[in-house]
Amino acid sequence: MKIPAWCTSAALVAAASSAAAQDFRVPPYQGIYQPQGVDERGLWMEADEAERGLRDSDLVIRDQALNAYLREVLCRTVGEDRCNGVRIYIIRMPAFNASMTANGTMRVFSGLLLRVRNEAELASALAHEFAHFERRHVLTGFQRRRSASDLLMWTAVLSAVAGQPNYAYLPLVGGVFEFSRDQEREADILGLAYLKRSRYRPQCAADVWKRLMDEADASALGRAQRSQRYDRVPFFASHPTQQERAGYLSSLAGAEVADRTVNADTFAVVMRPWIAQFLDDQIRLNDFGGTEYLLAQLAGGTWTAELLHARGELYRSRGNPRDLVHAADFYRQSVALDPSRAEAYRGLGLALMRARVLDEGRAALVRYLSMQPDARDAPMIRALIDQPL
Amino acid sequence: MGMFEPNADWTQQARENIAAALAAAQSGLGNRIIVQEQPVGEDAQVLADYMSLFSSVADSVITYQFFRGNRLPTKVRENRTGGFDWTLGSGVSSLPGAADADYALFINTEDHFGSTGRKILQVIAAIGRVHVEAGLHAGRAGLVDLRTGALVWINADLRMGGDVRTPEGAQRRISQLLEDFPGRPVPAGASQ
Repeated sequence: MKIPAWCTSAALVAAASSAAAQDFRVPPYQGIYQPQGVDERGLWMEADEAERGLRDSDLVIRDQALNAYLREVLCRTVGEDRCNGVRIYIIRMPAFNASMTANGTMRVFSGLLLRVRNEAELASALAHEFAHFERRHVLTGFQRRRSASDLLMWTAVLSAVAGQPNYAYLPLVGGVFEFSRDQEREADILGLAYLKRSRYRPQCAADVWKRLMDEADASALGRAQRSQRYDRVPFFASHPTQQERAGYLSSLAGAEVADRTVNADTFAVVMRPWIAQFLDDQIRLNDFGGTEYLLAQLAGGTWTAELLHARGELYRSRGNPRDLVHAADFYRQSVALDPSRAEAYRGLGLALMRARVLDEGRAALVRYLSMQPDARDAPMIRALIDQPL
Repeated sequence: MGMFEPNADWTQQARENIAAALAAAQSGLGNRIIVQEQPVGEDAQVLADYMSLFSSVADSVITYQFFRGNRLPTKVRENRTGGFDWTLGSGVSSLPGAADADYALFINTEDHFGSTGRKILQVIAAIGRVHVEAGLHAGRAGLVDLRTGALVWINADLRMGGDVRTPEGAQRRISQLLEDFPGRPVPAGASQ
């Protein structure tokens, strides 16, 4: 597809800083698209097959309200005509990710929903994925990888025959990753173009990446590792660095415009029933630093009973003696705010028992069982209470 | 050439050919075969789970049963008595349609064909004594007792014959897959 309007915005990548004033134009919508040629039809066939698998997968969250909401946000961002080419599947996976296949299957991970703070940020992620679809990046990426791998095979065989090292290896592999990064930039910029055309605040697109860098730093710190660098691109990186993305997205977003919305309140209402489960999955990642950062972000200064409970679970799961003290404290604060929270009594009891504060621990567990006598783990908890210590 | 490339036409042809070959092979099996209807909703989810489970178990059988030297220590007793004890679990009775059948036959095949370019590369590589694989032709077929979940019979080969893009090739593949198929399956339990 050669669309002049697009070429102008592609050229903007190089001069991102001067582009702020530039007007974005979205290419005209092509209507329902059917795959052309052997490669594309093959990729669609594979994607159809994978989508059939997704339809029956246990990992997909099928809640109607949540699915309808994501669809609504996508349609509001890219337009009613465009969004009909896409099916969204919400995958229960505690990582910040979303993906797009050739046939219009959009996968959105629950970890992304936990990390975006409002509708505009969610819209920016969905718009980016949609841009991959509209630009048919899966096809061009596949063709690029194929030509590189063909050359790689030839050079590997020929250099083996000649008894020489394969000097073409690094440039060929590097080229594939560079191409992938270019596609990501292209999707970022077209995604931002949709966002600018919608009612959402385009400045939000950059915010997500800034927070992800902070979270990665917190994770690294929690694991006593050196944090990654954002000022240069690793050889095998499929995406530009978060710093680069935040940089060009925020400069391309331009100046604030009136009447833009972020819809943080609606977003919070829709997500409320899901936060507990998503946090539970996040805590199981065993990423103490990153999860602490995320919890603080979610709390934003006001710790709810739910977040305090999650923080208790996080500290209890790490389980150093000092962590158990803090965990018990978070559970206590949680039940102080919401005395009906049975699981917080369970956590409090278990943390205290492990810290050998037996009487208070037993009392908390008894309280848990009295509130939830039919809990799945009731027999185990009962055994723990009755156990002579 | 350097990597797998999907081809929708070949896949479609192979699907039709294999289905036809299976239908034709029915009479030779000494059994009445009911083709599983495409279920919807929760049933579909259960079926999808069991298809993945079958593939994993079949792969384990290939890795840990077919090659004597690589058998699991936990399978030592069966190895001594020559037994074959693999199961998908008794939950298979919850499979959609299981109530009307005694056994379930799981079949899966995967084929990748070398392109002309790949074949030329192979020839050049052969001159230089470098090994290049042409394609991939793998197939697994297994018979599962629907009451106990026990794997009664399995045949798997990761290098099979038969070009499934043609009807004759598909017939050859199916006849290879169903080689030694227990014509009249023994009652449940007796096979273990």
